[in-house]
This record gives sequence, C-alpha cells and structure tokens, in this order.
Amino acid sequence: MTLLTGETDVFSSAGTAGRTAVVFLCRRHGDTADIFGEAERRAVDATLRQLGEEGWHLSIRAMIDPGGSAEAEALDAGFAHPYDMAGVFEAPSLSAAIEGTIRLERAGWERLFATEWMIGPREFAAVHGTGGDRPRDWGFLAFWEWNDNWAAATPDERAAYDAECDIAFKGDLALDIDIAGRHRLDWAHGWHHLGAWLAPSPEAIDTAITGHEAVADFVFTTSRHVIGRVRPIRELLAR
Amino acid sequence: MSESIWIHYARPRPQWYRLDAAEKSALDARWAEVEAASVAAGGERVGRYHIRGQHDFQTVDIWRFPSPEAAFDHWARLTAAGYNELFAFSNNVGLPLPEAS
Repeated sequence: MTLLTGETDVFSSAGTAGRTAVVFLCRRHGDTADIFGEAERRAVDATLRQLGEEGWHLSIRAMIDPGGSAEAEALDAGFAHPYDMAGVFEAPSLSAAIEGTIRLERAGWERLFATEWMIGPREFAAVHGTGGDRPRDWGFLAFWEWNDNWAAATPDERAAYDAECDIAFKGDLALDIDIAGRHRLDWAHGWHHLGAWLAPSPEAIDTAITGHEAVADFVFTTSRHVIGRVRPIRELLAR
Repeated sequence: MSESIWIHYARPRPQWYRLDAAEKSALDARWAEVEAASVAAGGERVGRYHIRGQHDFQTVDIWRFPSPEAAFDHWARLTAAGYNELFAFSNNVGLPLPEAS
C-alpha cells in the first residue's frame, strides 16, 4: 500500500491490500413518505446483505473486528451535525466500493438521503483501546488534510510531529477508544485521510481530541469531525 | 474494473512561488514523467483548463483511466514525487452512469 505519510508506534501498515473505506455523510431529504416506503427499505436492506455476502464490512465494528455481527451500522449524527446519518463500510476493492455506492443509491438510498460518499484504501491496521471487550456505542469520524505548513515542513519536522501525535493516539487508546486504522481519501476527494473510532462515550472523544490539541496535532492539518451514536442502519431507515 | 473519469483541481501552495524558474522546470519534468507512465498504462489526459475565475482552485485536469485503481495509482505516483507538497488539490473519481432503471 502507498502511504501518504509513514508508520508510527501506534499505526502499522495494514496487511489488507485493496480493502477500501466507503464513507457516507447523509442529509435526509424533507418529506419522503411518498417516494421511500417499505419496498425501498427492503431493497436497500437486501443490497446491504448482498454486499456483506460479497465481503464488505458494514460497520466500524466489523472493520476493527471482522467475523462478528454482520449488522449494518451507522452513526445517528443529526443532534450535532447537518448530517442525519454518517458512517463507514469497507469494501474488498476500489472498484467494488464505487460500484456498491451506485447499487445502494439505485436501491432507494438516493430517495431518502443526499449523500456525500468518500472512498479510499486502508493504509494502517486497526488498533484496540486498552479496556478490552466492553460497549463502545459512540462513533467518531475524523477527516483531515495536510495543510500548507505541513507541505512546507522538512522531513525531520514531520517526523517530530508524527511522534507528538503518537502521544495523543496512545492517549486515545488509554481512553478505551478503538481506532479502525487509517484510510487514504485524497485520490478522490479534498480530504486526505479518514480516521474512524468507536468510543465508550462522547466525553471520551472530547477528552481525546483535547489531547490532540495539546500536542498541536492541528498545526499541520485542517480537520472535520463527526460524532454520533452507533445504531443499526435498519432502525435509521425506518424513521 | 470499469473505465473511470478522474477530475483533479489544483492551485499552487505558497512555497511554489518561492521556487525559481529552474526549480519549477525540474519539478514539472519529474511530474511529466509520472503522467507519461500513466498514459503508457492506458490513461488518457482529456485536458487541463483554467478555472480561477470561478473556483477556489486554479486549474482542473480531466483524465480517463481504465479503472479506478489506475486513477489511484496515477495519484499515488504523483504524491510520491512530491506533487501534493507544492499544490493544494481536490480530486473526484467517477464511473460511467449505468442505464437508468
């Protein structure tokens, strides 16, 4: 895998050639009762199940711990964002990822949501928080781009920066946050990377981001963050 | 694998303007080699257009590639050659629209 920036103590290059994130930020259309009904709900559900059978992971949890539940999950994010639903799947390849977004849209997804899809291959392997097996019902998506300061920095300055950010990432793990590695979005979007987390609480996420601010994470990046409660997609579609 | 369109918006980062003409030419030549390799692998550069008058970026480059993977490979080689350190960018990829259902 081609890495945009190098490995660190926390993050190692993933041995998952071709696995590709499919990010979705969804804004619910207005009244859709007459264009999205039971038939469309079933068609979207059937498409999700078919994608699962084709090797997709349909939740952040499955991206971190493959082999568990096949339930498609997303973040219920409307309480904090213009997005009603946000989330990440992981497809077996770039081509499968893009084609899958078209299949979902055609099945009826497009009738319910205006969606910004972002697609890109996995760079780093998932890392577990320190708390073992416990509920982590809050999701967090981080998108970032390397800014002009990063572009102008020397290799030594970037290495020192990566080491400082690793301190914050170790803090994230100590807060019991699971991190689904890192994916590279820059080939097909303005954002360069995705980081997807599962956390025990919104407070854990807030404390973690405060740690990233403390190590000056954002001196070299511009970021957007999305937080939400993890819920089955079938429940979010049934509203 | 499907044919894909790849759209690349770009504008120089501040440090591009700090380079002299010879330094810029050397970098342009390096990136032209990357582009030539992409063409040899089946990519087609549709063209580069100036859009500064009505966009955050300065140029848009449009390519056709044999697959999304080929588009990714093109960009990965450009970034490995340092292109993204001198130019801010935003990219899009697209597949041909299937027949309407």
